[in-house]
Amino acid sequence: MKRNVAGLVIVFVGAATVQLAVSNTYLRYVKPGMRWMLLAAGLILIALAVADVLMDTRKKNPEEEGHDHSGDDGHGHNGLPKAAWLLLIPIFALLVVDPPALGASAAARQSPVASKPIQPKSNSWLADNPQGGPVNLAVRDYAVWAVWEKESMKGRSFSLTGFVTPAKNGNWYVTRMGLTCCVADATAFMVEARGQAAPPRNQWVTVTGEWAEPSKREDGDVAALTIDSVKTVTAPNNPYE
Amino acid sequence: MSAPADVAEKAEKPPKEPAGTSIAFTATLILLVALALFGRRIFAGAFTDEGVRTWATMFVGVTVQALPFLVLGVLLSAALTAFVPASFFAKALPKHPAFAVPVAAASGVILPGCECASVPVSAALMARGVTPAAAIAFLLSAPAINPVVLASTAVAFPGQPKVVIARAVASIAISMILGWLWLLTGKGSDWLKIPKNRHAEGTPKFEVFRSSMLHDFLHAGGFLVVGAAAAATLNVVVPRAWLDHVASNLLLSVLVLGLLAVLLAICSEADAFVAASLTQFSLTARLAFMVVGPIVDVKLIALQAGTFGPKFAVRFAPATFVVAILASLLVGWWLL
Repeated sequence: MKRNVAGLVIVFVGAATVQLAVSNTYLRYVKPGMRWMLLAAGLILIALAVADVLMDTRKKNPEEEGHDHSGDDGHGHNGLPKAAWLLLIPIFALLVVDPPALGASAAARQSPVASKPIQPKSNSWLADNPQGGPVNLAVRDYAVWAVWEKESMKGRSFSLTGFVTPAKNGNWYVTRMGLTCCVADATAFMVEARGQAAPPRNQWVTVTGEWAEPSKREDGDVAALTIDSVKTVTAPNNPYE
Repeated sequence: MSAPADVAEKAEKPPKEPAGTSIAFTATLILLVALALFGRRIFAGAFTDEGVRTWATMFVGVTVQALPFLVLGVLLSAALTAFVPASFFAKALPKHPAFAVPVAAASGVILPGCECASVPVSAALMARGVTPAAAIAFLLSAPAINPVVLASTAVAFPGQPKVVIARAVASIAISMILGWLWLLTGKGSDWLKIPKNRHAEGTPKFEVFRSSMLHDFLHAGGFLVVGAAAAATLNVVVPRAWLDHVASNLLLSVLVLGLLAVLLAICSEADAFVAASLTQFSLTARLAFMVVGPIVDVKLIALQAGTFGPKFAVRFAPATFVVAILASLLVGWWLL
């Protein structure tokens, strides 16, 4: 790869990284904490490319005829790795495919069974919420607690926000993906929605309803909610939990 | 994907300075700007399949996650190349390679990053004359035993400090064993492409820094893209449900979680949380997941093949995997 082309590719990679961080698009792919690292990485790359071009032009002018320079030119400039062209693929993907946040297709590939928590959570939050009014809860918490801490959840009503993952026989799940690092390790947290017809696939909804006895499956129990109302909402800024 | 391939063809034409340079430059610039402005309209309807879009999300996700660490890695490795004199390493490490290995393995504690950062840094160490055995020990230990990784393991396994200890012990043991294994079998062979110091003596330091960072980033970045594509593909293709069928058998479950770590290519700072969520498995199997992940996975194999040569990577990755599985079994039996 030629040196100036390499500089161009690096500027685009850097600019794309900065753009991701500035526009909140990065939340589709990684955790919110990565923002500053992405910003820093992008700016470093841009600075690297700009410094390279500046130093190169400054060096070129006085030494135009020097044989020392042309020798260096042959190695340094044409010797840059061809593998660098591959960096254009993620740029292409970002500019053209514009990959969305993970949705129903990724969730449907995982089991809706929530694994047993390592430590029992304290349920003090339930005491803080007066009996009666629906409690706002993260889908990932409800999916675990509705199965593993049944006793305290029984008879209470909850409000969950997630997207719709349709299943067999007209069943559907209110779903939220949980990230620990990036989308490669995304885990689906799914709550079976009972008593209401399924909204369209991937639609974001806020559902309100009462705790229900978990469904039995071969590989474990799945949290369920008997739903009173379904409200369609816009996707939240950070689609993951 | 056809557009970048086009460009690659253009670039491979024999260099014709300076006209060739400016043609390649202009073509790339036009292509990139055109993609940015009209890309979505031109390819509207081409990438609508949900599976393809999920793949693209995974691919971009792995790349975006690894990029800052890669930049940190090439920054450090360029700094090592440019500003730390070769004599420093000669003084810091014991003369005899067999003793240099444990010292290098222990010094992995100081590089706070995930595995993408350690490949360029250990390449720079080799280029600075550090014996390959010691650089290999550092390559394997740095992503596994640095404070960030150990802290995240402690958070993921609350109340179980033995998991953190087991992880550190197993990872250090593996890096030393592979360093020594290199001394026994690899020394003198031509598998390992030792990265050369490309700079003549007396080149200004900043110049060396700038150009090695540029070179390393382009090189490692390209291979990172290959690894990210492989990880995304496996992520989309391998269903997670098959895991549940093997959890009961200890040997099988250790092997399967080891293999899963290779395929998923999860960053070493996060793998503890994923391991913690695999509650149907024994602690030993989950230890194998955390021990294998930072030292051999599809993204790393691609990076290592690019940096140290494919001949090295095809021998090193299986050897590392086998040693890691054995070490996890042994340490798991002993400590967990």
